[in-house]
Amino acid sequence: MASRLLWASRAASYLRISAFHRGLSTVIKDLKYADTHEWVKVDGASATIGITDHAQDHLGDVVYVELPEVGVTVAQGKNFGAVESVKATSDVNSPVSGEVVEVNSELVGSPGLVNGSPYENGWIIKVKMSDTGELNSLMDSNQYSKFCEEEDAKH
Amino acid sequence: MRLQRSLEACKFGIINYFDALKLQERLVSDRKSGKILDAILSLQHPPTYTLGKRQTDHNLLVSEADLKTMGAELHYTERGGDITFHGPRQAILYPIVSLRDIGFGARNYVEGLESVMIEVASFYGVNAHAGKTGETGVWVGDRKIGAIGVRISSGITSHGLAFNIDPDLRYFKHIVPCGIPDKGVTSLKRETEMELPPDEVIHEQLIHCFAKVFRFSDIQWKKQ
Repeated sequence: MASRLLWASRAASYLRISAFHRGLSTVIKDLKYADTHEWVKVDGASATIGITDHAQDHLGDVVYVELPEVGVTVAQGKNFGAVESVKATSDVNSPVSGEVVEVNSELVGSPGLVNGSPYENGWIIKVKMSDTGELNSLMDSNQYSKFCEEEDAKH
Repeated sequence: MRLQRSLEACKFGIINYFDALKLQERLVSDRKSGKILDAILSLQHPPTYTLGKRQTDHNLLVSEADLKTMGAELHYTERGGDITFHGPRQAILYPIVSLRDIGFGARNYVEGLESVMIEVASFYGVNAHAGKTGETGVWVGDRKIGAIGVRISSGITSHGLAFNIDPDLRYFKHIVPCGIPDKGVTSLKRETEMELPPDEVIHEQLIHCFAKVFRFSDIQWKKQ
């Protein structure tokens, strides 16, 4: 058991994933996080946005993703779409403000990508940021991990 | 340390779907801004068909004109789930709660709502159970007795559950309920051997079970 854990944490640090030794959710370093469980990956002025592993785990199997149209404006903290799972639709909020430049149309036919690959193939929208300063109000991976632990402890 | 959490329970009679929707929107907004604490609405609707966010109107088997003739309304909503029917003698609960404060995620919340209906069914000797994956709701055998459709906006819930006490089940013939063909619908009246109390009693039992499942310390009752 000990050697499996050692292997897992070595693999985790190689892949630059920090793994909870207790919980099931993964958190990726170098991403920023909102307290409504969305992540954002920044590349210059471009931001890719999705929901976190913690979020998809708490939602259950996603059966439908409501995507915005390309060209609409999104605002930090405001919802831009929704995901449906087990008879519940949950709003998805944008961690940053800007203009939607791309949406992940794969999610139309394969909404389950949000569950299976929340940080990669399950990305939801790409935004051209209007104010990169907004990133400062988001959490980094360590802060987000702690945030999730505190939330889960309430249950 | 567990904080004391109060649930405000508002009891209505039969109210129109649109009016209930507007009320919920106001309460969700108030809950978001912290103006109010967690609340639950208890009511029934006049004959109403509703669709969820996916707008699966292919599961409506009659035209809108026919619905009007029947005296039923049709509403498109933002909740999860497929098409369903609401009508008199069907108990509706619309909890407006902060999932974050109660420490639940969407999946656990829906499972909690299922357990509320399962428990109340058991009071009447009815052995109900949750559905298989993809068939959310509460079943007796392969007959559906309770349905769930929820919306979560910034962590605040709206819409909720519908529990068949003794509605006119013929209305369900005009839809593919919840998009699941070949499965029937049923009611507490059909499944129990016991005599049922007035609907108000069953509504209160549902609210008590809700408070227990979601760990509220007390209920403040309000009648409208």
